[in-house]
Amino acid sequence: MAEKKATTKKAPSKKEDTKKVAPVKQEVKKAAAPAAKPKAAPAAAPAKAAPAGSTTKPGEARIGVFICHCGTNIAGSMDIPAVEEYAKTLPNVAYVDNYKYMCSMPGQAVISKAVKDNHLTGVVVSACSPRLHEPTFRTATKEAGLNPFRFEMANIREQNSWVHMHDREGSTDKAKDAIRIAVAKAALLQDLFPKTVPVEKAAMVVGAGVAGMQAALDLAAAGIKTYLVEADTSIGGRMSQLDKTFPTLDCSQCILTPKMVDVGRASMIELMTWSEVHEVEGYIGNFDVTVRKKARGVITPKEAEARGIVGGGCNGCGDCETACPVVKPNEFEVGMKPRKAIYINHPQVVPLLYTIDFNSCVKCGICVTACGPEKRAIDLESKDEFVKVKVGTVILATGYDIVPIEKKEEWGYKRFENVITSLEFERLICASGPTGGHLIRPSDGETPKRVAFVLCAGSRDNTGTGKPYCSRFCCMYSLKHAHQIIEKIPGCIPYIFYMDIRSFGKMYEEFYYRIQDEGAKFIRGRVANIIEDKKTKNLHVMTDDTLLDRPIDMEVDMVVLAAAVQPKEDTNRTRKLFGVSCSSDGWLLEAHPKLNPCGTTTAGVFLAGVCQGPKDIPDTVASAEGAASAASIPIHMGEVELEPYFATCIEEKCAGCGMCVNLCPYSALALVEKNGRTVMEVTEAKCKGCGTCGGFCPGGAIWMNHFTTPQIVAQIDAFLLGGEQ
Amino acid sequence: MARTKGYPEALDKKLREQRFFREDSNPEFTKNVKAISRTIAHMCYQCGTCTGSCPSAPRSSYRIRKFMRRAVLGLENEALTDPDLWLCTTCYSCSDRCPRDIIPTDVIMSMRNLAFKRDIVPVNFLKTVTAIYASGHGVPNNDVNRAAREKLGLTRDPPTTHMYPEYMPGIRKIIDHYKLKAEADRIIKEREG
Ligand SMILES: Cc1cc2nc3c(=O)[nH]c(=O)nc-3n(C[C@H](O)[C@H](O)[C@H](O)COP(=O)(O)OP(=O)(O)OC[C@H]3O[C@@H](n4cnc5c(N)ncnc54)[C@H](O)[C@@H]3O)c2cc1C
Ligand code: SF4
Ligand code: SF4
Ligand code: SF4
Ligand code: SF4
Repeated sequence: MAEKKATTKKAPSKKEDTKKVAPVKQEVKKAAAPAAKPKAAPAAAPAKAAPAGSTTKPGEARIGVFICHCGTNIAGSMDIPAVEEYAKTLPNVAYVDNYKYMCSMPGQAVISKAVKDNHLTGVVVSACSPRLHEPTFRTATKEAGLNPFRFEMANIREQNSWVHMHDREGSTDKAKDAIRIAVAKAALLQDLFPKTVPVEKAAMVVGAGVAGMQAALDLAAAGIKTYLVEADTSIGGRMSQLDKTFPTLDCSQCILTPKMVDVGRASMIELMTWSEVHEVEGYIGNFDVTVRKKARGVITPKEAEARGIVGGGCNGCGDCETACPVVKPNEFEVGMKPRKAIYINHPQVVPLLYTIDFNSCVKCGICVTACGPEKRAIDLESKDEFVKVKVGTVILATGYDIVPIEKKEEWGYKRFENVITSLEFERLICASGPTGGHLIRPSDGETPKRVAFVLCAGSRDNTGTGKPYCSRFCCMYSLKHAHQIIEKIPGCIPYIFYMDIRSFGKMYEEFYYRIQDEGAKFIRGRVANIIEDKKTKNLHVMTDDTLLDRPIDMEVDMVVLAAAVQPKEDTNRTRKLFGVSCSSDGWLLEAHPKLNPCGTTTAGVFLAGVCQGPKDIPDTVASAEGAASAASIPIHMGEVELEPYFATCIEEKCAGCGMCVNLCPYSALALVEKNGRTVMEVTEAKCKGCGTCGGFCPGGAIWMNHFTTPQIVAQIDAFLLGGEQ
Repeated sequence: MARTKGYPEALDKKLREQRFFREDSNPEFTKNVKAISRTIAHMCYQCGTCTGSCPSAPRSSYRIRKFMRRAVLGLENEALTDPDLWLCTTCYSCSDRCPRDIIPTDVIMSMRNLAFKRDIVPVNFLKTVTAIYASGHGVPNNDVNRAAREKLGLTRDPPTTHMYPEYMPGIRKIIDHYKLKAEADRIIKEREG
């Protein structure tokens, strides 16, 4: 302690050095309050006018410190009175108080009253993380009559009491440090004024599964022009591959097709299939998105008209497909049916427009002849096109894939013919599928009489070859599959090998009851391995009937693996374009798991459907409607506020080297000529305040608002040198 | 406990109080098993993959999953006194497949370790110790094997302590360090006189 005090004395001279670099924010201030920069720094005069006294000399700063107990979350792990006593000894601290729940209305009233009564110039709340309550306390600070940016948060919960639950002394000391550091910064805080920018009255939805379609329909219905970008040749996503849907068992296509048609028809939706997001620039309200329309080889009637081919363009007749000599597996049918190099996924596709798979097309030109001279819909030389659109907000709805379950070698997928995945099952049981809805054994075309379902196949698995999470819809669709077998194949017994049946939704448990009543056999045991009888191609399912406590060797005709799901391939590239993070399991990261599940940490970008985590159709649609509603708010507001954390160039110090221009990840910087000198200029709306440039600039010419060099140096000093009085 | 109703012994045993009481479980046991096995024995969610994989299970009353349950609940006496504890072949099939990434085989080994400390160990295991002490092999070579090896064009003895008996003192030193031989001799003597 004594040592610390001794060294503290050195601090002021050090601070003076750094303070010289601070630019004076504007003329009035220069005259009225040289403030934090006694030796008067060069004037850089950034755009915003601030009232006099918008900065405070450290000597004049009067900081209030408010310590939150968070019930026992914080108070249970540290000595609050000791922390409070300590805070009173800190320089510039004019008032200290504590409260059970600082974020509550009475708690905020404590702040408001203290600011007024004690003429405080800054507020420090030591509580939870700024991500949770910074907005709350900023509002409280504002209501108390201060600029909302005169607020600083000291995190003594997530980074302290929660992690040092059993170290009372240590956490008390750490809380003191955190408050000392926050006070040091608070004394140097400046008034800041958020900018508002207009919001483009258009939105983009990426991915046109049921989530993306629903979101686009909602946005369109709210009068917002919506670009719906789909990587595949047609819309509908996974749901269009399903036969029936639990728990009501309505036919998937029957409930989806009307929506697909609506999407195709809606005048406010511009559908871009066979397309992907190529480049993104800008920020909330003003995203400039470049969409790559992949070479399709076939043109629409509209495009034909533009080329002067009257009455031309693809009408979906399919003559080309019949003529095309190249045969490939159809991915929509999970490879169980052939398609040609020119193809559509299935007969009900929206848009009804053929596509050439240029990876397998041999450019023989037979289809061109088949299509004929009237329509002239085929263009074998077509190239990728890049279309640039401007949108205010974006929804990501990129969905999922099933995992490569062959990696779990013990289950024999891709080694044993009669082991299939649940998605293959959907196609085999579907009337429009490759077998016309007859479930058959791939090995011999026979109808199976005993079918085993392996649940949690690759889910709830910590080995590294599986996924640690529950895939959430496989229990329910396996129940559905059991029902479909019982219904379609008299005498066929489904055996469901499960660990837990998770039937949590509305009418789901009732569905479980129904399927058991219909005759499905439930065996509680995770399948250990599957062995193929080489002669009959039957399968021996080996597990433990954990309820009987007896090992099982069950011979069946067919095995269906309820494979785990994972984010759609290419999700990572797309999310990075929009600056969206993912959680450790790979799913896109929401802004808050409970209170903001549709938002992301990038303002203006939202999430819908399974891309955020496994969801069945009801939950997917609900999340899509939530995302559409959230994405329409800024558009309806017409303008958004941007955090005023942008960088500012201190032109006197800028050497015009331009190094920062290339470093900025958001392309917010440029070199310009000013008064005969080359200096850097910031496009404030583009700047995210990341600090890359500010930390780099060799001349210290970049001033990061709210994270200024003097503020940060003061925080470091406070940490290293103490600062108690 | 001692009360009997005069039924045949087996029925009498059945009619005894079978409930699991809190006192039956010893949290220290779970901790010890984890420490010795160096695996997350408390994380078993009873899926059955281990028993389903186990070559011993269909041929015996041994249930690895049951021992995992005992590890989770700390059922020390039940685990250590169950003779099935010694029926694991240590093939590691369960460990290959456990979705929780536990190593059940090592849990069994740790329980055997703890059981041995209480002199609970089948005599045949102790005889293996004696055999290793004598020859370096749990199952030493014999004339039938020697003939078979010769037929296959191999040396009569494998390149182990059989071929290099000069390594035996080293092996004995290790065994003696853990007093394994002495303990084995003692227990065998107590049991067989
Ligand atoms: C076998 C099986 C059976 C099921 N049965 C049922 C059921 O009976 N009932 C039920 O409620 N749920 C069921 N489900 C779950 C259901 O499939 C999902 O809830 C639903 O499909 C999720 O829709 P989505 O739009 O979020 O994702 P998806 O359907 O995966 O759609 C995502 C779309 O985005 C596109 N896309 C992906 N990445 C990009 C990109 N980078 N750029 C552009 N486009 C992109 C994809 O091509 C796709 O069209 C089942 C799932 C499976 C596997
Ligand atoms: S490309 Fe031509 S032939 Fe093929 S479906 Fe379209 S109109 Fe018919
Ligand atoms: S939904 Fe059921 S089958 Fe799927 S991972 Fe979860 S528990 Fe397993
Ligand atoms: S496989 Fe693993 S998790 Fe499953 S019962 Fe055995 S030890 Fe437990
Ligand atoms: S290691 Fe033991 S418990 Fe595990 S499968 Fe082999 S014999 Fe069974």
